[in-house]
Amino acid sequence: MRKLTGLLALLLAFSLVAAACGSSDGDDGASTDDGASSDDSASSDDDAMAEDEGDDAVAEGDILTGLGVDAENKVIRVGLNADLSGTFAALTTVIVEGQQVFWEKVNAEGGINGWTVEPVVLDNAYDVPTHLENYDVMSGDGAESVVMLTNSTGSPHTAAISEALVDDDLLAIPLSWYSGWTDPTIGQNVFEVQANYCIEAMNGVTYMSEQHGNKVAIAGFPGDYGEDGSLGAKVAAEALGLEIVYDGQAQVIPGADQTPIITGIVESGADFVWLTTGPGQTAEIIGGAAAGGYEGQWAGNSPAWNPALLGTDLGPVLDASYTHSTYTTLWGIGDSPGMKDLIDTMRELRPDAIADDVYIISWIEGLIAQQVLEQAISNGDITRAGVLAAANEIEVDLMGLAPNQSWGGEPNDSIVRGTYLYDIDASVFTPDGTVTDDDANRGYTLLEADYVSPTAAEWDYEPCFKAE
Amino acid sequence: MIRLDRDNVPLLFLIGALIPTTIFLVIQAVNDPALFLETLIKALGLGAVYALIALGFVLIFKATQTVNFAQGALAAAGALFVSFLVADEHIPFTTVPNPLINIGPEWLGWGLSVLVALIFAALLGLIIERITIRPMVGEPLFSVAVITLGLEIVLRVFNNDTVKTEFRALEIPWGNGGTTVGGAFINYSVIAALITAVVAFVGVFFFYRSKTGIAMRAVAFDQEAAMAQGINVGRVFAIAWAAGAVLAAIGGIFATQPPVKQTGAVEPETANIAFRALPAVILGGLDSATGALLGGLIVGLAEIFAGQYAAGESDWLGAGYPVIVPYIVMIIGLLVRPYGLFGTPEIRRV
Amino acid sequence: MFGRPNLYTSYEQESQIFSTWTQKVLAAFGILLLFLLPFDIPAITTKIPGTGWLADIPVLGRVFSWSIGDGIPLVRFLGDADWLRPMTTVFMLAIAALGLNILSGVAGQVSLGHAFFMGVGACTGVFLGGESSEALYGLGLPIWIWLPGAGIAAVLIGIIVSPVAVKLRGLYLAIVTLGLVFVGIHLGNTSWGRKIAGPPALGRKYPELDIRLWKEEDPLINVSDDGRWLWFDVTDAQKRYLLYLVLAIAFAFVAKNIIRSRTGRALQAIRDRDIAAEVMGVPEFKYKLIAFAISSFFAGVAGALFAALSGQILAEAFGLFLSVEFIAILLIGGAGTTSGTLIGTFFVVMIPQFVEEITKWLDKSEGPIGGTVGELILTDGSGDLGVINTSTVTPGWTLSVFDWNIVLFGVLIIVFLIVEPLGLFGIWVKVRNYWKRWPFSY
Repeated sequence: MRKLTGLLALLLAFSLVAAACGSSDGDDGASTDDGASSDDSASSDDDAMAEDEGDDAVAEGDILTGLGVDAENKVIRVGLNADLSGTFAALTTVIVEGQQVFWEKVNAEGGINGWTVEPVVLDNAYDVPTHLENYDVMSGDGAESVVMLTNSTGSPHTAAISEALVDDDLLAIPLSWYSGWTDPTIGQNVFEVQANYCIEAMNGVTYMSEQHGNKVAIAGFPGDYGEDGSLGAKVAAEALGLEIVYDGQAQVIPGADQTPIITGIVESGADFVWLTTGPGQTAEIIGGAAAGGYEGQWAGNSPAWNPALLGTDLGPVLDASYTHSTYTTLWGIGDSPGMKDLIDTMRELRPDAIADDVYIISWIEGLIAQQVLEQAISNGDITRAGVLAAANEIEVDLMGLAPNQSWGGEPNDSIVRGTYLYDIDASVFTPDGTVTDDDANRGYTLLEADYVSPTAAEWDYEPCFKAE
Repeated sequence: MIRLDRDNVPLLFLIGALIPTTIFLVIQAVNDPALFLETLIKALGLGAVYALIALGFVLIFKATQTVNFAQGALAAAGALFVSFLVADEHIPFTTVPNPLINIGPEWLGWGLSVLVALIFAALLGLIIERITIRPMVGEPLFSVAVITLGLEIVLRVFNNDTVKTEFRALEIPWGNGGTTVGGAFINYSVIAALITAVVAFVGVFFFYRSKTGIAMRAVAFDQEAAMAQGINVGRVFAIAWAAGAVLAAIGGIFATQPPVKQTGAVEPETANIAFRALPAVILGGLDSATGALLGGLIVGLAEIFAGQYAAGESDWLGAGYPVIVPYIVMIIGLLVRPYGLFGTPEIRRV
Repeated sequence: MFGRPNLYTSYEQESQIFSTWTQKVLAAFGILLLFLLPFDIPAITTKIPGTGWLADIPVLGRVFSWSIGDGIPLVRFLGDADWLRPMTTVFMLAIAALGLNILSGVAGQVSLGHAFFMGVGACTGVFLGGESSEALYGLGLPIWIWLPGAGIAAVLIGIIVSPVAVKLRGLYLAIVTLGLVFVGIHLGNTSWGRKIAGPPALGRKYPELDIRLWKEEDPLINVSDDGRWLWFDVTDAQKRYLLYLVLAIAFAFVAKNIIRSRTGRALQAIRDRDIAAEVMGVPEFKYKLIAFAISSFFAGVAGALFAALSGQILAEAFGLFLSVEFIAILLIGGAGTTSGTLIGTFFVVMIPQFVEEITKWLDKSEGPIGGTVGELILTDGSGDLGVINTSTVTPGWTLSVFDWNIVLFGVLIIVFLIVEPLGLFGIWVKVRNYWKRWPFSY
């Protein structure tokens, strides 16, 4: 036995040394499109898409194509690396479904200049290793390779792929509004859509202080989302000279008892509270504070709210005291062409679906991908690099669903600063309203559309919250 | 007289730590009696919910000698049944309307529906027992515990698929209302939870003195010997699981109410109540109903009082520190008594 | 002698790693295959007509699809993109599982806290190997310090915990170790915890696997970029696969040898009856401590590799589910056996991949088998037959394939415990004995 172990050790030692000698040329530059160096030309699958999608871009007519495009059948694949079974599955499944409806519609209308778009949906289970596995598939050269990611759910997950995105010339639209994505050193190829949590908090706090007074309490999760929002609230408070009577930045932990935060808010006597939490914690804190005799107003970042809360015991309190902030218009509100298109399409293709506000996110992700691909096709280059270049060129028209969006140029010029504010109104709330229901509304009346506070307008972009 | 030997060191430390804590709390109580009273009531309420869940653990442990890790999922499922019956007003998994909800005044219809939900919970317990636990009679106990871990995983998927993003309301007649006593706000649910916990404890206490209860204890002691004595071990298992599931469901209902949750609605998180209550069971002793009640209350008190009065230290304790207080209390308790406060030490033979 | 001996004539013979030549040859062949798996291998030089359907077979078709395509025929099982990362995950988890096997399978001390020790390892790794900045601690040391350091730190924490752990038995121990997992995740929220593990919900970049002598610019062995090793072009993913494979083999040998040694026999004695072991002169405290230390070391190293594989550390990742996954690995593979643990890891990690692949195939295929079965078990949520919902929105009680994967994980744990408590290893032994005794099998 000893002999075999010895032999093995020798082998290992040899292989390490040999590897050391041979590994001198690990240069970064070559990795651009060389990811699958082992003969892509051999990767032809035997099934329907038996098309050579090698590294070297193939000219199809006048259009340059590459990985993620089936030039023979004129199919472009886009990827959704979304959470379908994890923490946010209930939300993201609806977003993913909405985007599939969007592509059904686009394809039924003849696609994008004759090209069909095929969404590739993979489940990341809100788990970083799984997200990376899926990314490997999407960035590879198989039948599920894509030209862009129209949905990358989660901040740690998107952060984990952000370097690989640059290596692979892929762009990703994150389902996360972290202020860092706009910073090229953090997320060069992460194309954030709409205002970030930080700007949202600035706008929200400004609006609330105008309405309700100048003593503000802040509470939020730790991490990119929570602290981005809390820091934005602080920026606004400083600019407006508000008094921060309770600072609960990074103090709210999901699943924990929220007594310390509730006590802090009740004792502070704040005029209003800015929350950067999840719906469960929002309910916990508002309910606890109400029981403790707190009578101030509440508002919070978009993810802190869930309309289903109106159906619980806290409904009356929330109806009276909560202001909802978000990045887009909501279902059935306003008569923008985008909203009309969304409602008409949903009524035609999914008449039984519940009227859900997150379909607007699906539509926005879809519209972005559609217009970016249109630009890429008209540029004659739908390789990954071409799509990336196209995205940096254009301004996306979101048809009134949200402020228009562009990414090229300086972050300060391109970031969106407008957010939307809604009053929570139980009287218009239709819990099970379907898309065919004319009165379907999840309990919102519009207060401000595309609202840009002076603080946000003058703010010089930098990531509010930084991990490093 | 406590001698200073190796086994008593943790106990002495414990006593040494408890004295300053008590003094600190007395000062706080004198300073702001209303806040202290409110905290105390809240703590007792949480303790009562823990005790209810813990009683379920103990019931199942006493018959099968195993910890039922699926207790949390059973609790959430029980609360979901209630939500189906009273909020959606139909029988779970069907479209048949629930006829009971319209009987008499609001509280009567609600109460009857909850009873039906508890029957459903008992049935779920029976089904699970029959399929997964019965074949394991006589097998190693840890294997059974791991089976319940598997059950937890499976049940959670179904629970979460039902809840989705919704907050499924239980529409408890008194809602999150309450009354003010001596300047302290007291939720009605807290009072209800305390009463239910005491009633459940008394019920379990007398149950163990009944014929079935004695059979259960015999089975717990030695399954084969009990079988040889003519005890139907399968039936004992079934009863334990049905009762355990009902207690879990009751605990689950209270886990959606103040002081645990303010919404009065089932969330995916509801199932976590069992993991929060586990330290209470271990602290009290896995096979003692008294231990479950006391363990629950101790852990509840520790968690809420720490949350209220140590909030200033949360920077180095870490945000959300109340969540681990039960586990810390449990570890300290086990250092002093390795089988919990009231648990029976295992007799080890060569 | 090719077959397994029916009678062992010496203890030495019985405790060999591979008791027969067949086993040795098979093991050598298996290891060679594992080394070759990530690469393209020319196999069949001409396209075989009429074999197109082979490529349509889920899972197995992966081997065939490359040999019958139009391009250069290749055997390419893992590809660059697809299953390379899951297989690398198998090696990483196998290291941790082998550690837990020594603690739980061999010494009988059930621990639900394995994820906690992995977390300790991962945090130590990033503390030693990560770059420091305003908000983060880090020493920037090379891998040969931070990887063993991760294991050693886990051992130290294990030794701190063990006085409590050694005192407890059975389920009490399981639940206290479960408590460790919750405490561990909470520590990530403390002001100092987040300086090591990065902010909660965002995490921190993990040091790369490049092998350096010290902090020099050019690594001795570059693992994080594409490049050449010996005469071959290897991508970063393939390099990582090979590195993890080598580590997994090394740890498997160590684990197997520990089990065969005096320590292993002492641990088994404690598992079977601790008091009896003590009577025979096996000090219980000492050996339980050793078992905890060994298992923590394995977990610590695996934890660092876990985070390095993601390129990122996130405190929440080391939660209860990970611990349960290891228990499942041991039970499904066969607790107490090294080979069972390895098989179990492969099974637990790859099963979801297989299920997804088969579901996709059923969804696409229209043939007599796939089509009919597909009709029966798939649904688009519109009320037809079927339990697996292929549409992403899941109305009613049908679950998506992703949810079914989680359900399947739970069901597998239950079914294995009820039907085959010895796990896959037990099934293998039964099959082997059946053929050996044939035609007199029972």
